[in-house]
Amino acid sequence: MSNTIVTGSAPAATQQATRRFQINLRRRESLAAYVFLLPFMFFFCLFVVRGVAAAVNMSFYDWDVLSPVHKYLGLGNYNELINDDIWWLSLKNTLIFAVMTVAGSSLVALGAALALNQPVRGRGFFRVLLYAPSLLSAGVVGTTWVWLLNTQFGIVNYALHFFGIPAINWLGDSNLVLPALSLTTIWWTFGFPMLLFLAGLQGIPTLFYEAARIDGASPRQIFFYITLPLLRPTILFVTVLGFISHMQLFSQNFIMTTGGPGYASYSVIYYLYQIAWKSFRMGYGSAVAILLAAIIVIFTALQFILIGRRVQY
Amino acid sequence: MFKRSLLAGLSLALIFSLVVFSMPSSSRAADATATLTPAPTATPVVSDLGSGGTHIAFWNGLTGSDGDTLNAMLATFVKENPSISITTEEIDWGTLYPKLTAAFVGGEPPDMFIVHVAEIPYYLKQGVIQPNDDLFDTNGGPLPAKDFAEPAYSNTVVDGKHYGVLLDNHGYGTWVNNDLLTKAGLDPKVQPKSGAETLAMLQKLTIDKNGKNAADPAFDATNVVQWGTAIDWPHYMFQSLLFQFGGTVISADGKKATINSKAGVDALQTIYDWVYKYHVAPPPAGFDSWVSFQTGKVAILTTGTWFRNRIASVPTIHWTAWPMLQVGPQPGVMFGAHIMLIPANTTGDKLTAVKKLMVWVSNHNADWAASGQVPARISIRDGLDPKSYPSNIAIGQSYQVGGHMEAPSPSSLDIGNAEDPELSAVLANQKTPQQGLDDAAKRIQAILDRQ
Amino acid sequence: MTLPLFRIKNLSLYVFLAILGLLVAMPLVLILSQSLMDNTTLYTWPPQVVTLAPNFGSYQTLFSQPDLQLGRWLFNSLFASASYTVVVLTICAPAAYAFSRLQFRGRNVLFFILLATIIIPSQVTLIPNYLLMRDLHFLNSINALIWPGAANVFAVFLLRQFFMQIPQELEEAAILDGCSYFGRFWKIILPLSSNALTALTIFVFLGHYNDLFWPLIVNSRVDMRTLPVGLAILNSSYGGSERPVLLAAAVFATVPILLVYSFFQRKIIQGVTLTGMAGR
Repeated sequence: MSNTIVTGSAPAATQQATRRFQINLRRRESLAAYVFLLPFMFFFCLFVVRGVAAAVNMSFYDWDVLSPVHKYLGLGNYNELINDDIWWLSLKNTLIFAVMTVAGSSLVALGAALALNQPVRGRGFFRVLLYAPSLLSAGVVGTTWVWLLNTQFGIVNYALHFFGIPAINWLGDSNLVLPALSLTTIWWTFGFPMLLFLAGLQGIPTLFYEAARIDGASPRQIFFYITLPLLRPTILFVTVLGFISHMQLFSQNFIMTTGGPGYASYSVIYYLYQIAWKSFRMGYGSAVAILLAAIIVIFTALQFILIGRRVQY
Repeated sequence: MFKRSLLAGLSLALIFSLVVFSMPSSSRAADATATLTPAPTATPVVSDLGSGGTHIAFWNGLTGSDGDTLNAMLATFVKENPSISITTEEIDWGTLYPKLTAAFVGGEPPDMFIVHVAEIPYYLKQGVIQPNDDLFDTNGGPLPAKDFAEPAYSNTVVDGKHYGVLLDNHGYGTWVNNDLLTKAGLDPKVQPKSGAETLAMLQKLTIDKNGKNAADPAFDATNVVQWGTAIDWPHYMFQSLLFQFGGTVISADGKKATINSKAGVDALQTIYDWVYKYHVAPPPAGFDSWVSFQTGKVAILTTGTWFRNRIASVPTIHWTAWPMLQVGPQPGVMFGAHIMLIPANTTGDKLTAVKKLMVWVSNHNADWAASGQVPARISIRDGLDPKSYPSNIAIGQSYQVGGHMEAPSPSSLDIGNAEDPELSAVLANQKTPQQGLDDAAKRIQAILDRQ
Repeated sequence: MTLPLFRIKNLSLYVFLAILGLLVAMPLVLILSQSLMDNTTLYTWPPQVVTLAPNFGSYQTLFSQPDLQLGRWLFNSLFASASYTVVVLTICAPAAYAFSRLQFRGRNVLFFILLATIIIPSQVTLIPNYLLMRDLHFLNSINALIWPGAANVFAVFLLRQFFMQIPQELEEAAILDGCSYFGRFWKIILPLSSNALTALTIFVFLGHYNDLFWPLIVNSRVDMRTLPVGLAILNSSYGGSERPVLLAAAVFATVPILLVYSFFQRKIIQGVTLTGMAGR
């Protein structure tokens, strides 16, 4: 901004005055920025910074929420955590779930967006319909899908029986429960990535397509050499956001399976909930939360490295 | 420009009204309807009862038909005591515990609440409940201590002090579909006496789509249309059998996990074999055993006393109530007890009103039988009408013979949480009974060592 | 409009959309139709998708129960979510302006710290914030549902992305006119962002409306419950015996949101495009 005011050739006195003016201006700009930031930073510090700091502090204690005194453990909670087989199992389940769900919902969302980007009839209707599941609350989604996947009365098994497939115990089989939860979640959440892909597609200049067609490119080539590379920033954004949110799987397994059968659908947040709100071990729970946050940071960084190499943010 | 100013003005007005609106209002919602309409099928979640000046906030986890029964009783109480009003909140147990703890931490607990006897040590350890010795005749109070059924009563007295007043005993029993038994040539009045007899009966009652039963060599286990039984709640089922084989979850001194004893393995193996060897019960995960019994797809269902109202509302099913099935060498059945407790910071008029309410509910314990549960007062339980309350009586009596409770421990909820996923894993065929119980023992031991 | 990416024959495109639409719609239809069934129709094989004899008993039960304060809960939900959205926009838009258009010391470091906190699960701060709510006497009030999430980093991020695309020249003209920083923000940046703000409003509103765990813990009093919390508790008490009632309640909770979304649908897509949410 300031460079528009600076003039190239000025006498020394004016230059000095200009510099002073610049410094003055910069100071004023900084000041203005801080004023603009103030309300936000107030709430940010009060609830986010303070909350995280308190949680980190708690993770060093044996913190029973109702006890007046808390025993200092140092890294004791973390030490217990790395030897805790349920934690590792939950982490594994969560990663499997997150990868399946991110991949599944991105693909469905991309397919839907490609279709809705065409001049088809009823486009507005489909945009509302396909986004509609995202408007439901977790409770509604959970109870509905428990019903759909029910072994005895469920409509999914009813559909499969036409293909001669015997009744499948979706939520009761340890190999199927994560895919079943993932399917539910894809149905529930693919709407938002679909909107993002639609927006991304509409941002691709038509010029590129025209040029490619003049050069005689096939639709397949156009998709793989123009659309997909140009969608790369959107893909990064969708997968990063999706991964962050699906790593926090809680309400689906809380409502539909209570972590079962066995520990087959325990997720990290579900385990955290058990520790913090059933056993009331807030210190250990905080340690779980902080380690999970660290793991998400690492995986997010990996995604940026893998997908985001050529993306400018 | 005008539009934006308008928007800004609106926002300001909204924020202002927000601050005004959210001032803590001391007046309760003016819903003074003392009349409760207990719809036969649905449980009110929250009920405001009475309009008296002394107000009691009363939380419990009775979200089934038992909640209806309680609210109907309380409606009568506030009519008799117009100076008292009550708000009950019925929240499922899974949500009630975190909410109670959050409320204790937040300093805004209810004035009284119902949990289970086994959880007294936990709340005691945290110092959030108060004793109420003055309610029992041992201290000159109105309630006859000797009239409360054992062993629940002893567990409410800690270091010579009474905590709370017992509401009921509730636990496992057996429901039998008369028509299905008769069709298989069995008498619904005769309960099998051993594991072998029980298995033989369940095999006769498990039928595939070709009409062959589970004892038939040509039986098709993948196409069962009628099950002999179903595992409704593995926790209660397993522990009942554990007691029948002479085992316990933790040692008497509360220091050692004993769940993986031979008795434990025998008990869990029996259930496992019913599902995976003899195919007389479906794998429990994903199977709705209540609905299946109601629709005649399960012949014999072991479940809780709280099933009474549900099955009573299904006129097409003719049933008989038995005590818990016996498959081990001795009688044994798992049961629990609901108890009304007073938080430490309930004082003054509220405390007086709460105590009055607790005594009243105990004296009207007979009404509570309508919930399906067994009254805690012996004289009242024995005075029930056998025509109206067959299950309460048949099953209630069995608790005197072989009834065992969850071991009272400050970590009783924790122990249950460590045990249940292992039972579920075994019954989903992920682990052998021995493996599952060894893992459970390891986790329970860690909890006990932490105390 | 854009040209076809694939030269798919229109037929196969419609078939694809029809199948996807059917899969998405089926569970929704089931919620509606099962709310109109009774318990016996519900537990039959083959499962009934559409009921020929709709039964409005469940809706009657829903509205005749004096203890289900559905109207009150809906009001709480709408009021809390609307207030929250206003608060978020009020404090996040200026912050986004500072991050996108103003130079100040530590700008990049600060912005990186903000972004990093998106990653932290909300359960981390649950307990400390609950205790803070208690100390501020915010438990059992709308306040508890608004302020803890007010510093919405996601909103700042999206608005910053959008503000950065507004051509610098527009502001420079205003500077020459002697316009203050606030004037530039208020008279130039905001009016140019109406679509982005609309999209953000809807997303912030929806995200808040469906939140479950926090309102469950902080607002224990019945008349301060939000609709999803009321429904979740309804779920556990009616779940087994009265499924139609539960589904009727779900329909009741979803219809207002669906109407809002269909109404703003076009603007939302424009807004998403313009905010550069899609990463450009």
